Amino acid sequence: MPAVVVFVAVMVIFALAYRYYSVYLAERVYALDPDFVTPAHEFEDGVDYVPTNRHVLFGHHFTSVAGAAPIVGPAIAVVWGWVPALLWIVMGTVFAAGVHDTGSLVVSVRNKATNIGTLAQTVINPRSRNLFLAIIFFLLTLVNAVFAIVIGTLFDANPEAVIPIFVEIPLAIFIGQYIHRTNTGALVPSLVGVAVLYALIAVGIAFPIDISGIAEAMGMSARTLWIIILFIYTWIASRIPVWVLLQPRDYINSHQLFIALTVIFLGVLIGMDAMAAPAFNPVEGPRNWFPFLFVTIACGAVSGFHSLVSSGTTSKQLDRDTDARYVGYMGALGEGSLALGAVLATTAGIAVVGVDWGAQYADFATASDTALGNFVQGVAGFASNIGIPISYGTAFAAVVVVSFAATTLDTGVRLQRYIIQEIGEIVGSRPLSRNLNLSTTLAVLLPLGLALAPAGENDTLAFGRLWTLFGTTNQLTAGLALAVIAVFVTQARRNAMAQIVPLTFLLFMTVWALIINLREFVTNRDWLLAPLDLAILMLAGWLIVEAVVAIRNARTEAREVTAPADRS
Amino acid sequence: MATGQRPPHRVMLVREWDSQTSGSGCCGRLGGEHCDVGHPDTFAHSRPLMEAMGAIYRALRRELPRERVEITVVDPRNMVWLIPTILRDGHRRGLRGGELWRQVNAGVRNGAIVVDGVALFAHDYPDEDAAVDAVLRELAAASA
Repeated sequence: MPAVVVFVAVMVIFALAYRYYSVYLAERVYALDPDFVTPAHEFEDGVDYVPTNRHVLFGHHFTSVAGAAPIVGPAIAVVWGWVPALLWIVMGTVFAAGVHDTGSLVVSVRNKATNIGTLAQTVINPRSRNLFLAIIFFLLTLVNAVFAIVIGTLFDANPEAVIPIFVEIPLAIFIGQYIHRTNTGALVPSLVGVAVLYALIAVGIAFPIDISGIAEAMGMSARTLWIIILFIYTWIASRIPVWVLLQPRDYINSHQLFIALTVIFLGVLIGMDAMAAPAFNPVEGPRNWFPFLFVTIACGAVSGFHSLVSSGTTSKQLDRDTDARYVGYMGALGEGSLALGAVLATTAGIAVVGVDWGAQYADFATASDTALGNFVQGVAGFASNIGIPISYGTAFAAVVVVSFAATTLDTGVRLQRYIIQEIGEIVGSRPLSRNLNLSTTLAVLLPLGLALAPAGENDTLAFGRLWTLFGTTNQLTAGLALAVIAVFVTQARRNAMAQIVPLTFLLFMTVWALIINLREFVTNRDWLLAPLDLAILMLAGWLIVEAVVAIRNARTEAREVTAPADRS
Repeated sequence: MATGQRPPHRVMLVREWDSQTSGSGCCGRLGGEHCDVGHPDTFAHSRPLMEAMGAIYRALRRELPRERVEITVVDPRNMVWLIPTILRDGHRRGLRGGELWRQVNAGVRNGAIVVDGVALFAHDYPDEDAAVDAVLRELAAASA
């Protein structure tokens, strides 16, 4: 089957979902009211609270939620065949992510633009704030570990990407300083920055940076050495102000996101490449598609982090209550489209460059180890359809993924430092809450330990195991948000099944995956991941109890409010 | 004004939103003021311009009726929306070629104010009174 047929079919489903299901959500579940005075109007100050054109707001929202995660998960998950991966992306996006992202935005807007963590505290109970912090702590630890591995793997496999990526750092700093000092527009400098970045790919191809010799002399693999280098860099990067590197690099990233999407989908449309992967692919071993598909693809099907974005600045900019459907639901569809691109690249694109799909996806361990390389090769295949040389396209795709992953890593370590300081305040530890060097070092050492932990006999399984653990924490974040939304909808005496069904499904799959993982970790005497898995499992249990109690209480309250009216 | 109908004039205040992070995915839009996760001071450097533009926004909102003038605050990184909009508005004003390009280049600057496709304050920090006067003058010119 041509990939373009899959692409068009998914786009049609997304369009129908937006046309019908999002309308159902807007009218019957969230009861969006065009006359409701949103916080953007109620507190309008032109600073934080600004009624914003919905297309502008969508741009702000979508570029924040898109990143490397909806690429990596699907690139691994196609190991079970392209149909299960695609079905979960489509069903998850339509029935879980759309509900979750729109709902987070609506609940926040209806509560004076409060953030989801605070909403959990007020809507469910005060304990939920600590639950939220605990989930975020584990989530960030795993995010930082997996994205360090992502970058290390890509640098090891694509040494031609090293020069462009490392030059991007001073390039971004220079752009930031230039814009700041000359007070000129960012358009030309950032476009020049992107052009320089992509021109450097040719330099990278001519001078690939391969550190395997140095790593061997140090008694480690090249990927391990890259991971160590990355965490040293991140320790420094997370300590410097965001305006020096993070924000200037944003200008380059915002261009790259749309360039990458254009290259992928244009390549699909022009190339008419056939799907090289089987529709269904039985996989040997403990990681069956049921339940692991649903935690391998988190971002791209449903991602808990979107609730933080929706309830952050987005809810303060919503002009009309009814715009929540466009911004929230369309943002979810955008993320789903990125995941679709990853599936097409790893199932059709890689055949263009002659990669043997069966060898790359022999089992889950091999798939998780080769997934990123497969995506990079797949994008190179699509890029070749529009006249870009394969060697250049490969490096281009690696640069795009690393740029996004590096931003996530920079931000993630910085955030983890703040979380550790906050935990220090809660437990009354002055060194932990006040000593920046200590909190930053801990924020770096925790994920570094996870990223470098030996994985027993099968070293290639390390990334796949961490990635699915990361997926479980992301789904728990989504679960917490869906519980808050379900309580909100129930309290409003409307049907909350649109939230309860995906919430139940996600929690069931997450718990099941965690139990299978735990059994395996204990059997293999993996005393690093077993306690981590157990801790996340306990958080899942805590979340289930809180969600059940909160929804039941909300139903009781709603009935008590309704009953007198019924009797009158 | 009927729902969905755009006001005849558009004023864009271009400045960075704090805590906007492109392509970070799992860590996007965190930290900064009023945020659950992260430090409120993370984006403190963005606040002075946000506050200054906020004052201009409030002054313009007092002066200009919503049904006649749309005032939009845009992040300069949102170029996918910003560039076509300046081009479209400028073209509607009769700007062509190099002049239109100059407006685009000036209009995507952090701190720019764009009135119906014409960029104001392309090379200096906008003062509240001067900005409001200039916007009103430009709107009068656009209406003429």
